[in-house]
Amino acid sequence: MKLLLANTWLPTSAELHLFSPELVLTGTIVAVLLVALVAGRRPQLSAMIALLGALLGVLATAHVARVVGDGGLGGLAPPGEPPMLIADRFSVFFKLFLFVLLAAIIWLWLTGTIERRMRATSRPVGDVGGPEFFVLLLTSALGMMLMVGSLNLLVIIIAMETASLPSYAIVAADRRSRLGAEAALKYVLFGAASAAIMVYGVSLLYGRFGTLDLGAVAQASSLWSHQQDAGATGTDWLFCLGLAALGVGVVFKIAAVPMHYWCPDVFEGAPIEITTWLSIASKAAGLGLLLRIVTTLGGAAAGGTHHTELLAWAIGILAAVTCTVGNLAALRQESVKRILAYSSIAHAGYMMMAAAILVAPAGTAANVGISAVVAYLLVYLLMNVGAFGAAALVTWHAGTDHLSAFTGLGRRAPWIAVPLAVCLFSLVGLPPLGGFAAKWFLLVALGTSAAAQPWLWGLVVIAVVNTAISLYYYVRIIRQMFLTDDATLPRLQVPFGGLALVNVCAVVILLIGTLWFSPLGERAGRLASNLYVQPTPPALTLQP
Amino acid sequence: MLTIGLTHYLVLAAVLFCCGLYVMTTKRNAVGILIGAELVLNAACLNLVAFSRYRTGRLDGQIAALFVIVLAAAEAAIAIAIFVNYYRLLSTIDADEGRQLRG
Repeated sequence: MKLLLANTWLPTSAELHLFSPELVLTGTIVAVLLVALVAGRRPQLSAMIALLGALLGVLATAHVARVVGDGGLGGLAPPGEPPMLIADRFSVFFKLFLFVLLAAIIWLWLTGTIERRMRATSRPVGDVGGPEFFVLLLTSALGMMLMVGSLNLLVIIIAMETASLPSYAIVAADRRSRLGAEAALKYVLFGAASAAIMVYGVSLLYGRFGTLDLGAVAQASSLWSHQQDAGATGTDWLFCLGLAALGVGVVFKIAAVPMHYWCPDVFEGAPIEITTWLSIASKAAGLGLLLRIVTTLGGAAAGGTHHTELLAWAIGILAAVTCTVGNLAALRQESVKRILAYSSIAHAGYMMMAAAILVAPAGTAANVGISAVVAYLLVYLLMNVGAFGAAALVTWHAGTDHLSAFTGLGRRAPWIAVPLAVCLFSLVGLPPLGGFAAKWFLLVALGTSAAAQPWLWGLVVIAVVNTAISLYYYVRIIRQMFLTDDATLPRLQVPFGGLALVNVCAVVILLIGTLWFSPLGERAGRLASNLYVQPTPPALTLQP
Repeated sequence: MLTIGLTHYLVLAAVLFCCGLYVMTTKRNAVGILIGAELVLNAACLNLVAFSRYRTGRLDGQIAALFVIVLAAAEAAIAIAIFVNYYRLLSTIDADEGRQLRG
């Protein structure tokens, strides 16, 4: 045994330190299970442990953030090999993002349990909880963290499945809900199909370049492009096919066109805490992975080769179609959960536009697209937690999420109606709210990069037109709350925890739109400044 | 005498992939769609192992294939649990019968 270990590579403690957020999360998962074994099935106790784990995770991430320097760090691989996991400020940002979101979701769940206990005699429909609920939630968070922190295609596949599989199950967490069962069925079928196609794409990339490391793939493909540029220009079809199949899996996670069909159904059928979680976390992780892939492939190519151009066009077109489809479909919805689902598709489209910025023009900061998405995601988190949280409070009360449940909310529950209106106006992107800051940074990033890729102006126009379209359906909810009223409807009694959550979101959105406008941009720019770069490309030896 | 080479494995994998894609798009039974996805995953496994044996000479492709097999098993377990739950509530396993959520 000793002899065996002597020749085996093991990670050093310094490397393990870098991945302490993931380790804390894994420890929390085990703790939730073990405590349930000893103390019995107590949903609130499990929730408290999960909340504690999320807060510890924030501390661990803050610790890692100080260690990670410029250029990021690779780890968990023998010396000389490409890293299995990487830690840079970009991945640290996503870890922090997911931990904060986890805490908010668990807080919302706790509020919901108190709310439901207040009004119901027996266990009502829509009541979810227990250790397995939190284990699934935390495991999907773990998968999402790994998704953004790797360049190895195998690790990316495993991370995506770790994120997806618990999400499928947790959608049907309420085992008596027919809607939940149907939503989970649709989700798992779409997910299994797209994951399988993605794995096939990875196998093609592996065959084409002989490596599972995305950095080495980027090196090899750019080398190939330069050889081609010298002679005839052609397209490497196997590379494009592999990349497209890989993209199917990523696009499914973001819920962008053409893999968006699951999104509204799943969001409507799932418990509202899970809808909030999926609408933010799943999209954020998918976008992070997309940006990671795109910057790796585009960065190595060093200035607009044939393939990066193709990739940028493909992403740009998908982004434009996604936000248009999301906004147009939202116009004719009656369920608030569905309106917010389509609005999240539209916002995924806006954020994907930034991923189309592959070639930064000379003289501008590198990775403007990434800093725009980072800023957008931060604001998106607040807007969606606020909007879904307010919708949850109303839905628990009325038993339905139909638009009519929001009638006269301005009189019946001003402390829900006002923050919800702030979140909705911010989702439109009106000043002086955070949503305007997010859209402003995005459009500026697109505009400055248009010097190298003139067609990006097209995306700017589409984003602005879409913003105008989206005004209609967000204002519809606000009109229902403030301009229609039914005197027979009583005032709403809502738990304090939920009110605190949505009001804090609304206040921070206001602050970002005014006082924190430029700090947000600077912070986001710094987060995007030190993407991990592979030090030396490993040599490839392919048999003929 | 015919020697089996990389091309044969790749053609077999491509055929498996197309069968899987066909099954996934035409079947209405949820279990059928899942089997289609498994066919595609097996095609990917075959690709990985064949490339690893004939092209790179490294073991990473074969290790990846092992991981993919484990993932496929985990996915099937979750999917079938969801199917059972669906069947218990709606007495059908037809994916097209789910019509409560639309719009």
